[in-house]
Amino acid sequence: MGAATKYAIIDPGTGKIDRRIFSDQAIYDEEMEKIFSRAWLMIGHESLVPDVDDYFHTYMGEDPVILTRDRDRRLHALLNMCRHRGNRVVRCDDGNARRFMCTYHGWTYANDGALEHVPGESEAYYDALHRASLGLIEARVDMYAGIVFATWAVDAPSLEAYLGDARWYLDTLFNRRGCGTQALGPMKWMEPVNWKTMVDNCSDNYHVPTSHISSAGVQSKYLGRPRLSHKDQFESPNRHVFVNGHSLTFREVSDDTPRYVHGVSTETAPLFQAYHEATLPEVEGRLGAFRAHRVQLGNHSLFPNGVLGFRLALPRGPQRTEFWHFVLVEKDAPEAIKRVIRIGSQANNGAAGMFEQDDVDNWRQVTMASASRLGRRHAQDLSMGVGHAGTHPDYPGLVSERYISENNQRLFYQRWEQFMNAERWTDIPLDPMTARFEGTATLHG
Amino acid sequence: MAPPEQALWFELMQFYIREAWLLDERKFREWLDLFTDDVLYFMPRRKNVPRREAHREITPLGDLALLEEDKRYLEMRVARLDSGMAWAEDPPSRTRHLVGNLLVQPLDGGLIQAKTAFLVYRSHLETDQQLFAGCREDVLRPVDGAWRIARRTIVLDQNVLLDKNLSIFL
Repeated sequence: MGAATKYAIIDPGTGKIDRRIFSDQAIYDEEMEKIFSRAWLMIGHESLVPDVDDYFHTYMGEDPVILTRDRDRRLHALLNMCRHRGNRVVRCDDGNARRFMCTYHGWTYANDGALEHVPGESEAYYDALHRASLGLIEARVDMYAGIVFATWAVDAPSLEAYLGDARWYLDTLFNRRGCGTQALGPMKWMEPVNWKTMVDNCSDNYHVPTSHISSAGVQSKYLGRPRLSHKDQFESPNRHVFVNGHSLTFREVSDDTPRYVHGVSTETAPLFQAYHEATLPEVEGRLGAFRAHRVQLGNHSLFPNGVLGFRLALPRGPQRTEFWHFVLVEKDAPEAIKRVIRIGSQANNGAAGMFEQDDVDNWRQVTMASASRLGRRHAQDLSMGVGHAGTHPDYPGLVSERYISENNQRLFYQRWEQFMNAERWTDIPLDPMTARFEGTATLHG
Repeated sequence: MAPPEQALWFELMQFYIREAWLLDERKFREWLDLFTDDVLYFMPRRKNVPRREAHREITPLGDLALLEEDKRYLEMRVARLDSGMAWAEDPPSRTRHLVGNLLVQPLDGGLIQAKTAFLVYRSHLETDQQLFAGCREDVLRPVDGAWRIARRTIVLDQNVLLDKNLSIFL
């Protein structure tokens, strides 16, 4: 069997998926190597390390990583592993430190990763230790609109190419304003779920009227939010689009369409509308008229494990995922807006979120079914909307005809196959960039 | 006759015992009545920080919290449970709230600060279980002759919350 055909887990014509990918330890181990060791991963946000010597402790897959800002204000993503024996050199969630000392034997690293001090370097090591080659292991780092990404792969394409035309849509949420965004969080909790189900669910608008019926119902009654019925969803003009493994949903809006996001209610809608109108000239300059007026990003995921906004599904074994929930607010937004977004975010998503808490048992039982010998004999069925997606004159990427579709999920698992079957990065295809990025906004803000 | 501080302590301990039974017997509508209409129900995050920076351990109001709710949001949570379609709690969790270590501190304006420690056991579906430990710091206000919770801060003794969700009230 050739390497290129090792994994054929989805039939794109029928949407049948081999369930073993959700529970098999050997497949999981290979995911850590073939996906998490080479994809660009979201690891943090520049606002989490605003000052010189700030650090924020994060993860790339299962590996602990320190995001630092050195004295020259450069960002580093450093494997949190002393090069001597492997102890972590940072145990706090965040802070400010010029150096990190290993609490085992005292090896001390600068916050750019350099090994600065080894106790007994002359007396015990006879000056034979090659300190210069024993710095903390460093990943490649780049940023998109303040969100920090990192990859272990030296042969990975640029972050700009990795995001590709997905950025055309992402800009409408993350890159609207010159002031940039500020990250709050993370809230962290442990879900007994395979990480991929949480990611593919981002494009699953089909589950909303069933899984979230109680939350949508009370929010409609108390906050004047949409009921999100099946009828609403089937008739929705919203769309799905897929680029390079990134699953996006977006809304075609007009200037007086309420920009429904967490925190919007009958009472706060005028506040959001006033903010929208006040910022529209700036957004138009940055994103061009079409995106500023017509496009609003909805639920989305970034390959492999970015889940709906700047939130992370961190794999912790085939049947466990540590979930990190952050909220992003535009830095110069009025305090009243920041407040209702923050409160709405924890009320809807997050560990106690009224929407998110109803997802977990569904997802976990999907994971458990794939661990069952009998269950595994029967494929998952992701056949919805096969053959009903294609290119669109106004929108880059592969666009589904309807909002309720499993097209993005099928493509997500095909992307998974591409990574798992590739020997090197050049074996992984990237969609050509065709979008016209009107306006002044760039990858870096 | 007991000194007034002792009578107050006894009265508040009864208040918290009654609250625990309301929660464990799933009488959430009655439980809601224990809160003032302007309540802030707050559960900050708990961070790993150096001992000398202990002031940063509990995230302040204004940062992202596990819960930052007003009365309306609490009512929405209860109304959701009553819908019969709040799947995280249908079938419902089995909970047991043990509340103790009550410290009472009178504040200005007839308010009282009441601090308690809790252990909450949660069992869900067949074999899921979790033990939550933490403390509650309440500000109580008398409303129509009865104590009502005007502000509740719940501090959990976990960094990464180890449960699958936080669908119960602590």
